Parts: sequence; C-alpha cells; structure tokens
Amino acid sequence: MSRISECTIDELFVKLMANTIKDGEVIFYGGSSPLAMIAVYLAKNTNAPNLVHIGGNPAGLDPKPPFLPPTTHDWTMLEHALGVLPIDYVFDLGSQGKIDRMFLSGAQIDMYGNTNVTIIGGLEKMKVKLPGGGGGAKLSCDIKNGVLWTTRHRVRQSSRGKVYTIVPEVDFVTAVGHKTPSGSREELGLIGNGPEWAITNLGVFDFEEKTRAMRLRYLLPDTTIDDVLENTGFEPAVHSDLKVVELPTSADVEFIRNFDSLEIRKREFPPEELERKFTLGTVQ
Amino acid sequence: MAAYDISNKVTNLEEAVSLIKNGDKTALGGALSLREPMSLIREIIRQNIQDLHIIGNAHGIDVDMLCGAGSVGKAEVTYVGFEFDFGIALNYRRVCESGKVKVLENNCVTLINQLRASAFGLSFVAQKSFGGTDILKLHPEFKVMESPFNGENVVLVPPIRPDVALIHAQYADTLGNIRIEEPFASDIILARASEKVIVSAEKIISPEEMISLKPNIPYFEITAVVEAPYGAHPTNCYPNYAYDREHMAEYVKATKGGLEEFKNLYLNKYVYDVTQEEYMKLIGGEEKTKRIEGWQRGIEEWKEIFTVGDAS
Repeated sequence: MSRISECTIDELFVKLMANTIKDGEVIFYGGSSPLAMIAVYLAKNTNAPNLVHIGGNPAGLDPKPPFLPPTTHDWTMLEHALGVLPIDYVFDLGSQGKIDRMFLSGAQIDMYGNTNVTIIGGLEKMKVKLPGGGGGAKLSCDIKNGVLWTTRHRVRQSSRGKVYTIVPEVDFVTAVGHKTPSGSREELGLIGNGPEWAITNLGVFDFEEKTRAMRLRYLLPDTTIDDVLENTGFEPAVHSDLKVVELPTSADVEFIRNFDSLEIRKREFPPEELERKFTLGTVQ
Repeated sequence: MAAYDISNKVTNLEEAVSLIKNGDKTALGGALSLREPMSLIREIIRQNIQDLHIIGNAHGIDVDMLCGAGSVGKAEVTYVGFEFDFGIALNYRRVCESGKVKVLENNCVTLINQLRASAFGLSFVAQKSFGGTDILKLHPEFKVMESPFNGENVVLVPPIRPDVALIHAQYADTLGNIRIEEPFASDIILARASEKVIVSAEKIISPEEMISLKPNIPYFEITAVVEAPYGAHPTNCYPNYAYDREHMAEYVKATKGGLEEFKNLYLNKYVYDVTQEEYMKLIGGEEKTKRIEGWQRGIEEWKEIFTVGDAS
C-alpha cells in the first residue's frame, strides 16, 4: 500500500486532463504545456496505454523522457523516442484530420471555447502583448477534439473593475472554439469538432450540444457552484447531473511525482492555488 | 557573392553578418531553447542593424534580445517567451505594446506553408480549414477562395521568402555543407526558402569528413559559414551542450527594469565590444561549459542544469 494520502491541486489537475484521453488516440500539444505533457504520460500509464504520443515541440514519437524539463525543445523530450517527426509532417497530419486530441490554454477563454494568447485589449487597443499562439490557430481548426485548460479561473480586481479569465468574448481569437464572431465551425468549414472539455482550477466544463456554450459538468471537491459563478465573466449553464470529480489514486500521484521530479507542473499555478490539498480515498 | 565563392564559404562573424541589411526579412533557425543562432544575433546587435522583419516560429531569447537592442521593426513570429521556465519575454512585449515593433503574429502551420510556397517556387499554397481566428486580421494578404475541384473553402497564403536565414549547426564544412542534429525545427525548410543562408557552426570540418557525417543541408543553399563554438549559448546545442538555465535566469532578470536597464545590465556586459573569447569567460568559463556539457554524465547532472539560476 502506498503511503501517499493526499494530493495537491496540480496533481488533481493532471488527472483531470488525463481522463479526457481515450485509448488509441493520436495526441499533440504545444510548448509551455507541462500539465498536458504529464497528463499524456499518466494516461499512457493508466486509461490509454495505446495512445499515440507526438511529443510537443521537438515532436518525438512516443518519447520516454527521464524527467520533465522546464522548456520543451530539449533532448530529454526525445529520450527513447521512435524518432522525430518533421515539423511540416505534424502539421499535415492535423490538416488531414489525423490528430485526435490537442490541449490548448488561454489567458482568456470565452463561453464558446475561443482562446486568446495573443493580445489583451484587442487589435486596436493593445493593452498587453501575450507570447502568442504557436500553431494553435490552425490546429484548433483541424484537430478532432480540443481540451482547453486554465489554472487561473479567478476574478481579479483592477483599476478598471473586475477582470476575468473566463469571459463572454475573448479580446482576440487566437485558437477557434465552437462559434466565433465570423461564424460557427460549420459555417467556416472547419474539419475538427472543437473543444470537448474546458478544465479549470474550479471545475470541469463541457459544451452544451445546442448552444455550444460552456456548461459546468463537474465541481472540484473544494469548490461550489457559487465559486464558479463568482469567478466567471458570464453565467454558465449547469448540467442537470452536476458531479464532483474523482480524485487521482495514490498510484497516480506517485507516478506524477516520480515523472515530474523537478515539479515543473507547479509553475503553471499561482502560489495561493498550490495551498489546495485533497485527501485521497482508501486504497483497495 | 564573389567573396563567398563555392570553393570556400568560411568567413568570420563580422563579414557574415554584414551581409544582412537594414529592413531585411530575417528568418531565425532553432526554436524556444533549441539551437538559436545567438552568436549571429549578438553580432547583429553590435553592428546595430535596424528595422529587421523577423520571421520565425516559437522563439525566445533570440527575438527578445533583438527587440531589447532596438534591431526589430516587424515581428512575424508565432510565439516569443520562456514557457513555464521564465514566462513572458519582456522586451518583446514592451516594443510590441509601444508600437515600435509591428505585430504580425502568424501561426506555425501557416508560416511553414508560406515557406513551403517559397520552396515550391509558387505564388501561393492553399490551406484547408482555417477560419474564425483573428490571426487572419493580422494578415490581409491571405485570401479565401472556393476550391475549383470540390467547392470547399480554402485559404491561399503567399510565399514568405526571407532575405536571409540564420541557422546554428553542429557542423559545417568549408564548401558550406551543413550537418544539424534533430530536432531540426524549421531549419531545413528555411534553407530551401530563403535568398541567403548564413550558418554558424560549432565546428568547421573538411568536405571529406562531412561525407561520412552526411550533410542535411547542401552546400549550394548556403551563402556563408562561420565557426562559432558555443554559438547557440544560452540555448541548447545537443549533443554538445544543454540549455544554460543559470544564464537565462540572469538574462530574464536583466529585462525586468526596462530597455535602458537591459542595455546596462546585459548588452553592455555580454554583447557590445565583447569578443567570443571574452564572452566565454564572462559566462563562467570552463566551470560553466563543464556544467552544460554535463548532461551526458547521467540523469542527475542533467537535472542539475535545469535547477540552477534565479530570475527573481
């Protein structure tokens, strides 16, 4: 029996991301995505042993890194890989609809799952230049299923009032969700299905079939509907069968800690979020 | 190009970089923390080349340093930052927000297709399934049309033909053949798509030695080669050396107080009037090179490279 009896928010978060992966899927993610990277390894070790892993920026095929590095374009991410896929080949796989699932994050995420990692304030009134979207803009059109995530689902006070991460409409659409100001995915002729899930530090959302808008599907063990409403820039629908997420097993947590021994995963969270701890259930 | 005739493309850093003109479309090889052409970047800053139109996918210190030195006019890149190691690239952010640098953010897939259009010798390539993103608003040159074959909407993207591509390699030979180790990032397509290609290499070898290594960029694509050991530092150039996280932390710290402070704290110390020999001493000499080469001595030493350094 493992001695691990509790986990922190980052470890729970990895488990929630891993749960979205179905066995046999072709998975891709971009740079600056440690939680997604760990989630792929956890899924491969648990619920999706046959997933096909195209490892982010160096695009190693099924790599087995000895540890997670703080920056992705590193030879650690090619250790024990079957090889490196050329960059144009990876993107061509996307254009053919051969990437089943990709993880995308956003400084803003809106109700239809559009994400912004380019400009806060919009093109005409740029307030903040964000780092940029890498390949996300085009890949979000093509991938079969998207999984969005943010670790900053909290309202903040600024001199101009309340600032949200989850907003009614993003200031700039970098990666495409279900509906954009230019039209729906169907109208735009996009081949992918759009985001399937949005995972945040407060809950897990799906996208309601008719409205294609975010709908609260799961709470975290220490959050309430009110927490979610207070910290969201619009009033999301709540699923009639709202549940609380299941915690990772102690074996999952052990796996995460061993694999990410440098604790790169924790850097995605504001320090106060990392105080959140969850007591694991009895190990059978 | 008489100075770089086919029999010998080897030159020095100053001569090679003098081929770059103000305003040139300048494509950068490598990516993020991988094999960025940092010796060439530092020489561009020393020569005070201005108003560059930077072309690149996901980048980091290379673009940020050029922005901090005032060398950039347009940034046609897809990402500039330090991922979850050090986050936002502050110089890049500053010059974009002040309007000094025109933001032409692109996306990796499209950028690669535009380089492919150049390599194909075509006036455009068609992309499928690309709508709804505001990246299109930054690129009015992209055109939507209906495919004459099956009626689907396609987006036509024109070629990007860089005036010059800068690549750092593990090996070059005197004829200009280049051997780079995987991952290649965009380097191979950049060499095919650009007017001029300037390569810095860890080591220059003879054409005979190159035959046994097998080049992956042929000599006729290359304009000039320069020997520059540790020429990607502080990014990685495996198998020679890993990313120098300690130096990167010092860099990021130096960007925190604004452009003037950055010049004083970083460019004056490591770039302006600094020779390659001086640079190697300044970054920590043999103690430093031993550490960043230490990844080969086992997992624990490899990990240690990524735990030193503090940007706060």
